[in-house]
Amino acid sequence: MIRPIALVLSLASPALADPAIPTFTDETATADLSTVYEGEWEYMAGGGVATFDCSGDGFPEIFLSGGAGPSALYRNRSPQSGALAFEKTEAITLDAVLGAYPLDIDSDGTMDLVVLRQGENRLMRGLGDCRFEAANEAWGFDGGDAWSTAFAAIWEKGQDWPTLAIGNYIDRREEAFPWGSCTDNWLHRPDGKRFAAQIPLSPSYCALSMLFTDWNRTGHPSLRVSNDREYYKGGQEQLWHLEPGQPPRLFTEKDDGWKRLRIWGMGIASADVNLDGYPDYFLTSMADNKLQVLKDIAAGKPDYADIAFKSGVTAHKPYTGDDPSPSTAWHAQFADVNNDGIADLFVAKGNVDQMPDFAAKDPNNLLLGVGDGTFIEAGDKAGVASVAVARGAQVVDLNLDGKLDLVVQNRWTGPEVWRQTGEAGAWAELRLQQDGANRDAIGAVIEIKRGEAVERHEITSGGGHGSGSVGWLHFGLGAADRAEVRVIWPDGAEGDWMDLPAGTFQILRPDAPPEAWTPR
Amino acid sequence: MTLGRRQLIGYALATPMALALGPAQAADRQTIEREMVTTWYRLVLELVRHTATQSPPVASRAFAYIGIAAHEALTTGNVSLVSLAGQVNGLPPAPARETGAHDEACVLHAALAASAQVLFANTGPSGQRALTKMDEKLGAKAMEGIDAAVVERSIAHGRALAAHVLAWAEADGGAVITNMGFPRSYTPGTDPEDWVPTSLIRQQQAPLLPDWGGNRTFAMPTGNTCALAPPPAYSEDPASEFFKAAKEVYDIGISLTADQTLSARFWSDDPMLSSTPPGHWIAIAIELAERDVMPADRVAAMMAVLGIGMADAFIGCWATKYEFNLVRPVTVIKRLIDPKWEPLLITPPFPEYPSGHSTVSGAAAMVLTAFLGEDFAFDDPTHEPDDLPIRSFASFWEAAEDAALSRLYGGIHYRFSSVQGLAQGRCIGAYAAALKVFA
Repeated sequence: MIRPIALVLSLASPALADPAIPTFTDETATADLSTVYEGEWEYMAGGGVATFDCSGDGFPEIFLSGGAGPSALYRNRSPQSGALAFEKTEAITLDAVLGAYPLDIDSDGTMDLVVLRQGENRLMRGLGDCRFEAANEAWGFDGGDAWSTAFAAIWEKGQDWPTLAIGNYIDRREEAFPWGSCTDNWLHRPDGKRFAAQIPLSPSYCALSMLFTDWNRTGHPSLRVSNDREYYKGGQEQLWHLEPGQPPRLFTEKDDGWKRLRIWGMGIASADVNLDGYPDYFLTSMADNKLQVLKDIAAGKPDYADIAFKSGVTAHKPYTGDDPSPSTAWHAQFADVNNDGIADLFVAKGNVDQMPDFAAKDPNNLLLGVGDGTFIEAGDKAGVASVAVARGAQVVDLNLDGKLDLVVQNRWTGPEVWRQTGEAGAWAELRLQQDGANRDAIGAVIEIKRGEAVERHEITSGGGHGSGSVGWLHFGLGAADRAEVRVIWPDGAEGDWMDLPAGTFQILRPDAPPEAWTPR
Repeated sequence: MTLGRRQLIGYALATPMALALGPAQAADRQTIEREMVTTWYRLVLELVRHTATQSPPVASRAFAYIGIAAHEALTTGNVSLVSLAGQVNGLPPAPARETGAHDEACVLHAALAASAQVLFANTGPSGQRALTKMDEKLGAKAMEGIDAAVVERSIAHGRALAAHVLAWAEADGGAVITNMGFPRSYTPGTDPEDWVPTSLIRQQQAPLLPDWGGNRTFAMPTGNTCALAPPPAYSEDPASEFFKAAKEVYDIGISLTADQTLSARFWSDDPMLSSTPPGHWIAIAIELAERDVMPADRVAAMMAVLGIGMADAFIGCWATKYEFNLVRPVTVIKRLIDPKWEPLLITPPFPEYPSGHSTVSGAAAMVLTAFLGEDFAFDDPTHEPDDLPIRSFASFWEAAEDAALSRLYGGIHYRFSSVQGLAQGRCIGAYAAALKVFA
């Protein structure tokens, strides 16, 4: 069908002018987030932030990892479009927490939380009204005893219970000689409506981020693992086959065309940056970071080109101050912060711990997509160039005004939170919901038309650095008055294209019209 | 059963002193002395890998000073050893020992610990923690059963020796490294033979340590002592020597044998992914010291002279590299032969001629041959933890030649750079090998 030109032009299409600089206001002092990520060597990584709605009002709560100190869940008390305000709860005060990811494990419509720890990992079952109970035993989950630093989840085909991947780091007992002591990652597959005994994902190379992703659009997501070369021997970045009923199997150079890459892998962010319909991956590291795009889609091999340099996202050294030393990057997340319809990229930065070869004052990056494949740095102009020692973060609409806000957890000094307060383009926010298992449709894809191109968003659970979110999925629309989107559900069913008005929240369900939702 | 490095270090840290209290006490004490050297060196190899400033030239410098500290610490208490003071450039005589008995294991431990803590002050939190724990555990092992006054005297002397050597090191031109050795800005040459960046890493758009060739040398007079003739003149004429050399890199690269691939990876020794090329030769020497149960004074002397030879090799090689500033094969091949060609290995971010691996390997072979002999066969398990098999050599020169050619197989050096690099290393290593360390 040929659409009228006027309609096409009214849809979100990339702009090629200089991107609009968003304005963020630091509301750390008034938002009442106080949990510090504490601890020494055992907490040099981690510091995750999880955002999800557990109160049922649609506004995202915030869970902050506390490291050696107690963690905390904060209820969101922000008025819509108003100043950010949170109330500390006593719901989850575990210590030894490095990161957390929300996931409705039992698909009861109430969000659960996966908590990564030094020692036993915990599954916290949501009971409603931001109450939780420990569920390891009830769900047959062996929390193990490791230094857990990475997480990803997926519902494998035919399963009504999720598969969890947990990445583990150094053997913490090897204090005099930690190198080469990476401990096994684990795959927790379902056994009915509980977990079977964990499967070691061996070899393991000190994972700091994991992501189930359908990199080649086969409908069977693979497990991408980003590993810290500081500690492994013979290691590299990894990609695992995960086929239903089959044991996990590594992609290899010989059999699959996987190409060896060895970095200080710390975080994975994924988005269809180049609009080729396939996920691209930003991998955080020390000094230069990587932006990987498939070299040859037709070849079907996981052979990636690093386009970070030409895209302007190496983010390799501080862009404020005069320290020439290289940067240290942790959580990364693609998001359209200025609502211009082009993916932007946030990167949390912070020295590991008094490493003089790396920058001590290392500002977080806010890299704005220009629309021609390049990005420009705007962290300082936008007001988020903090030089605190950042680790985990979330770019999320905390006050449901259609503009993304930012919360960052810092080592030793506590969290920072910024509300976006300036002008921004049009937006739409979507939630996927389906009946039965996998209520939040992890593994689905939202397609949105960007002019002549179609941008694909994988709905994932995992990645980043110890930080995850389930909630409203935000789309910038630029000057458009609506978004043309469709959903490809986890079972492969392709939904119809829908025109959704800008400035609205919409709940999307399979075989059902969109349901508008209004914050109250 | 072959013990891995982790197991060897664990054994060294855990063996109870009670084992050393029998009739064979002296022999066991010698074992502990050797373990002080080899265990500290095992840690230093890891610190090189995990400290960002420790590029191969910088690492070679650290190996030299640590070895010199260990050797000098023993010379003050052993008349059969000869100090390097007066033999290497600018090293003053070592401070004398206090009157009274000293324990050589304690002296060695203190000298090595203090040296490592200064030379690897930039290492990260795991390295710092490991330094602290190694100091505690190895120190306890050295001190166990030794009279407290002797311990105190010995530790003080070891530390004084380290301070003495490190004070001398301060002025050599290589003590301060910023931005991991990469200049903040750089304007590449514009002639076709000029080196240009080959990396997609932003930091590596400037070449590594362009002034390293001006550093103070150890055993050879200056960085230009073993200067090389110019490389073949750049030419795009297929009949020219230069073009043929580039074409050879390409032809080998597209038809690599399994053993050539293995050789390239075995000697690759990339910074921050390994203990670097000089670290590889140190690892070989440690392995042999343990295999052949060498006495500590011999090990320390060998490590000192090996470190000196390799440090001088990097200074000499770097002086030559920046004298000729030659373009890398990948640049030439993409320009003239095949724009899509990629080498097997990561092309290092500095000029091509000569091959640094070849120079350092030539120097190392020269020193180790002087210490251990011609036709000294050995197995090299350095990269077993990285899942690369043991490689066996009939002599140190066979290993050095394998290392030199590996750079051709890896696609990052012309053959003439490997050949000339080995020759340069042989020349430089001869100065180190001529040092007198035993009376």
